[in-house]
Amino acid sequence: MSSAATPGGAGGPGVPTAIDPVTLGIVNNGFVNVCREMGITMIRTAFSPIFNEGLDFSCVLFDRHGNMIGQAEFCPAQIAASLFIVRWTLEELGIESFEPGDVVLHNDPYRGGAHIPEHSVIRPVFHEGELFGFVANVGHLAEIGGKAVGSFAADATEVFQEGLRIPPVKIVKRDVNDMELWRLIMANHRTPRNTWGDLNAQIGSLRVAERRVIEMVDRYGRDFLEQAANELMDYSERWMRAEISAIPDGVYEFTERMEDDGVSDQPVTFHVTVNVRGDELIVDWTGTDPQVRGPINATYGVTAGATYNAVFHVTDHHIPKNSGAYRPIRIIAPPGSAVNVQYPGPSVGGNTETHPKLADMVIAALAPALPGRVSAAEGGTCCNFLFGGIHPKTGEYYANYHLEGCGWGAKSYDDGNDAIIIKNGNCRNTPVEIFETRYPLRVKEYSLIPDSGGAGAMRGGLGTRRIMRVQDGVEITVNALLDRTKPGFGAFGLEGGGQGGSAAIKVKRAGDTEFRTFTEAFGTVSASKFTNVVLRGGDEVLIESPGGGGYGDAYARDPERLARDVFEGFVSAGQAQALYGAAVTT
Amino acid sequence: MSGAAGPDGGAGGRWVELKPAVWETVVRACDCCGQVVPKRLWVVDIAGSERRFCGTECESLYRSYVLPRLAR
Ligand SMILES: [Zn+2]
Repeated sequence: MSSAATPGGAGGPGVPTAIDPVTLGIVNNGFVNVCREMGITMIRTAFSPIFNEGLDFSCVLFDRHGNMIGQAEFCPAQIAASLFIVRWTLEELGIESFEPGDVVLHNDPYRGGAHIPEHSVIRPVFHEGELFGFVANVGHLAEIGGKAVGSFAADATEVFQEGLRIPPVKIVKRDVNDMELWRLIMANHRTPRNTWGDLNAQIGSLRVAERRVIEMVDRYGRDFLEQAANELMDYSERWMRAEISAIPDGVYEFTERMEDDGVSDQPVTFHVTVNVRGDELIVDWTGTDPQVRGPINATYGVTAGATYNAVFHVTDHHIPKNSGAYRPIRIIAPPGSAVNVQYPGPSVGGNTETHPKLADMVIAALAPALPGRVSAAEGGTCCNFLFGGIHPKTGEYYANYHLEGCGWGAKSYDDGNDAIIIKNGNCRNTPVEIFETRYPLRVKEYSLIPDSGGAGAMRGGLGTRRIMRVQDGVEITVNALLDRTKPGFGAFGLEGGGQGGSAAIKVKRAGDTEFRTFTEAFGTVSASKFTNVVLRGGDEVLIESPGGGGYGDAYARDPERLARDVFEGFVSAGQAQALYGAAVTT
Repeated sequence: MSGAAGPDGGAGGRWVELKPAVWETVVRACDCCGQVVPKRLWVVDIAGSERRFCGTECESLYRSYVLPRLAR
C-alpha cells in the first residue's frame, strides 16, 4: 500500500508502508498521547513551580531496544538527552536487569545527561510478563545540593560543587521504594521535601504511562504494535533523509563566542562544520576551545541535543519525532572540549547558555543553503537566577530556580518573538502572582525593553526587564548565571541584521540610589556569573534579558511595521532614525 | 571478546567489554564521535595506534571523514 500521507500529520514522502498510513497515524498519536498524559500528571502533582509552572521536564517512550518511539511538546534538549540516557543506561545495567515495577534514577552528566540538576527516571513496561519497552521522564530538580543554593554554581570548577551526582541506580525495586537510597539523597539536598514531592511526581507519571502503554498493547497486540513502531521510525528516517537531500551538498561553517566561563574573564570560542553529504549530515564541532574551568561546558547530550534541535528547526516540523528522525545526523563532539566535557569538569550552565548558541550556530551555518528557513540568533541565555534561604512564613529552607525569557532571532519572513525562554526547552515564564505567593520577593517591574531587538528588515524579538525587591526583614542567598552582558557578545544578526541588546544583572542595595553590577557591589569575578551573594530586606535585583538578532537590512524595513514599533514603544524614535534611517513620530 | 573484520577494508578490530571497578565512576568516550561507551569498546589499530570506538559505524566514519580531515 502506498503511503502519501504522514502518520498523524501533513504530507510526507510517498513511500510504501506495510501498515496503512491511517492506522500508523493513530498509533503514532497514541504514543504521543502517552507522553502528553505523563506531562499532565507531572504538572498536577509536582511540588515545585519549575515543573507545574515552568514545565522544565520531558516525557518520552522507548521500545525494548532503547529506541525512542514517542515524545511530545516538551524540552528539545531533554528529549535529545533522553536518547542517550536511556540507551546507555540499558547498555550499562543490562536490559535483563530490569524487572516489573523497577525505576532507575540517574543524573550523571557524563552519561548522557544535559546537566546535573536534570534527573531521569526510567521504568520498564512489561505486558503479560514480557518486556515491551520503557517510559522515561527527565526533569530539572530545583535544588540538589552542592556549593550554591539552587545547584547552579556559576563559578564551579568541578562537578562535585554542582550537586549530588547519581549514576544509574534503582530507586524503586518491584514497586517498593529503596528508602536507604532515598535517605541518602534527602540528606544531600537543601529542600528534601520538594525533592520527595517532585521525584515522586516524575515516578508517578511513569506509572500512568505504563498503564496506557499496556492498554495499547491490549488493543493492538504486541507484534502489531512493535511492527508499527518500527515502521514509524523507518518512515521518519526516510522523511528526514529526503529533507537533508534537499539541502545542497557542501561544507558550511560558523563560529560563535561566549563572553566568559564564570571563572576567568576570557571568552570561549565554539566552532561548527556542517557537512551535507547526500541524505546525511555530519555535524563536526572540532575547532571548539578545549574544556574550560567554569561551568559553561556542554555535555555530549547538550551538544547532540542542540544539533538535533537546529536540524529540526530547518526541516519539516511534521516529521514524527522518534529515533528514526535522528538516524541520518552524525555528530562529532571532541571529548575534552567545551562541547563534550569530561570528568570532573563542571557543566551546569552548558545546557542553558551553550545549547542555544550551538543550535543557533548550526542554523546560521546553513543560512547560505536555506535562506528562507533560518533565523538570526536568539538571546541565548536563560538568565538563570537562583535564590534561597529560610522562608519567613514556614521556617523551612526554600530554593527557587528562576528563568527569564529573551528576544528570539528574526526570520526572513517575520520579526523575532519577544520574551520567550531559550530554544533548549518549551519552558514558560513563571507568573508574577505565583512567584510572589511562594517567595519573599516582590516584583516591582516586569516589562519589555525598548530597542533591545536587533535592527533589520525583520526585527529581533525584545528582551525583558524585571526588578525584584527583597521583603523587609528577610535575608536571601542568590546565584546567577547569565551571558551576553558584555558589549560585542549580543545575539548575532543575519543577512545584514543588527545584534540584539545585551543582558544585565545588577543590584541596588537598600539606601543606594542606583543599580550596580555585582562585581561593583560585591567584588564577584564575573558580573554575570556568581554564587552565594547575600541580599537583605530592601535590596533590589534588576535582570535584563537580551534581545534577538535582526534579519536583513534595517533600511529595508517596511515603514508601516516601523511606525507600529515606535507607536507600541518597541523601538524608540531615536533608534528609528539612527538605525532604520526613518523619522517616525508617535 | 571475539575479533571481527573491520569495515571499509580495515585491518579488523575486536570488541572489548568494560568491567569497571566500583571506584571507577567514569565511562569513557569514543575516539571518533565523543559518545559515551558504556559497556563495549570497538578497538582497532589504525596507522600503528590503537583507536577505541563506540562501534563499527564510528570506525567507518573515522576512516572516511576524520582521517581525511586530519590529513588536510
Ligand atoms: Zn562513536
